[in-house]
Amino acid sequence: MTYCLHAFIGLCLIIVQTTIMPCLLLFDSFYDLLVPLVLYLGIFRPVSESVVVILFIGFVMDNLSAGPFGLYVAIYLWLFIGTKWIVTFLHVANHFLLPLVVALGVLLKNLIVLGALVVLTDSRFPDDLAATVGKQTLWAVFTGAFFLISFEHVQKRWENRIGKLFVKKNGDS
Amino acid sequence: MLFAFCVIGLSLSGKRGRTSYGSGAAIYFVAPFQKGFTHSIRFVKNLWRHYFFLASVAKTNDALKRELSHATERVNQCNETELSNARLRSLLNFRETINRQVVAAEVISKDPSPWFKSILIDKGSSDGLKKSVPVVIPEGVVGLVTDISTHYSKVLLLVDQNSAVDALVQRTRARGIIKGGTAGRCLFKYVLRKHDIVESDIVVSSGLDGVFPKGLRVGTVSNVTRRNSGIFQEVTVIPYVDFEKLEEVLVILNLPRYAPAYYDHFKSGVSER
Repeated sequence: MTYCLHAFIGLCLIIVQTTIMPCLLLFDSFYDLLVPLVLYLGIFRPVSESVVVILFIGFVMDNLSAGPFGLYVAIYLWLFIGTKWIVTFLHVANHFLLPLVVALGVLLKNLIVLGALVVLTDSRFPDDLAATVGKQTLWAVFTGAFFLISFEHVQKRWENRIGKLFVKKNGDS
Repeated sequence: MLFAFCVIGLSLSGKRGRTSYGSGAAIYFVAPFQKGFTHSIRFVKNLWRHYFFLASVAKTNDALKRELSHATERVNQCNETELSNARLRSLLNFRETINRQVVAAEVISKDPSPWFKSILIDKGSSDGLKKSVPVVIPEGVVGLVTDISTHYSKVLLLVDQNSAVDALVQRTRARGIIKGGTAGRCLFKYVLRKHDIVESDIVVSSGLDGVFPKGLRVGTVSNVTRRNSGIFQEVTVIPYVDFEKLEEVLVILNLPRYAPAYYDHFKSGVSER
């Protein structure tokens, strides 16, 4: 059931960032909303539960984007692995460190995308590279923690509800 | 192992030029939701434009009426030109090389990444679309279909760095390749230095790439740089299409035929003999 919850959140975020965000001038340089979700899974959720969701949302993003196929799956997997590694020596679940973690995640994601863009195709670095990455990082610093806390909140409510359902079922039987 | 897997996988998918695997399934399930959201946003936008912006509508109406009178005059001139053109064509026994059959489609979502430029449209294989068919609007070339599902398709835009269109300058017939550039502009590559190109020259599709019909407007030249060395000049082109405001597009279903008119002429001449 938790897989479904995370996959559903991922799909909602994908739809929001492909339909609503491009219409809002303020958010034209917003970062990939799935980065906070992947970081959340890396920090708070077990590997077995997260990998399936990451592969799923990566697959959907690869199909919706014009980038080389497999790019988003690779990015999200590396972000997840990086987060799991950082968690071993840094207490990143601390709410004061969350903005920094999201900003780092957004930077790393852009680094991999641009690396793939230049190495795998004959493209060159965009002229507005610094401005776009800068804006995305700033957005991540100011709003990234909000997403992580929201995911945590939704997860807790979900677990409570599921727990109550189980108790009720057991009580009935 | 994972690193090696990623690098090999990405290299293969990047170099083969294949953009996705099993795209039909993902697009089939996600696109209806995107369509629903896009329609809702447009409904709210239209509500705002039609009911809350009425104050400015009166002014716009006056301006539009003035423009309409100018446009009517221009249409009359165009009609005259069209009639004379038709007469001349029949005289020269020309025929249209492209019998365009188009399908109108609505844009339902945009690429999730700012580094890649693509859109999703609400027409797919059930509407007769195929991979690599050109997508245009009256203003000019939009791009081409790269992925397809039953009811939806992905279009690679002209401004994406991976797109390429064979084009020529309308005034001097200088040929080159239009490639996606940065900041919404395109690069007109492989144009020989000897060709005379100036700012505001119009660039149109040449039809030689086998995808886009000849004569479709692509953009205007915004900058020309001729370096001391090298055989090509660097030309920047601003596309006619405003890709930020794309809402509806036309997909050309029947690709251009390559047998030129004089070939048919030649064939009929031979058979007569």
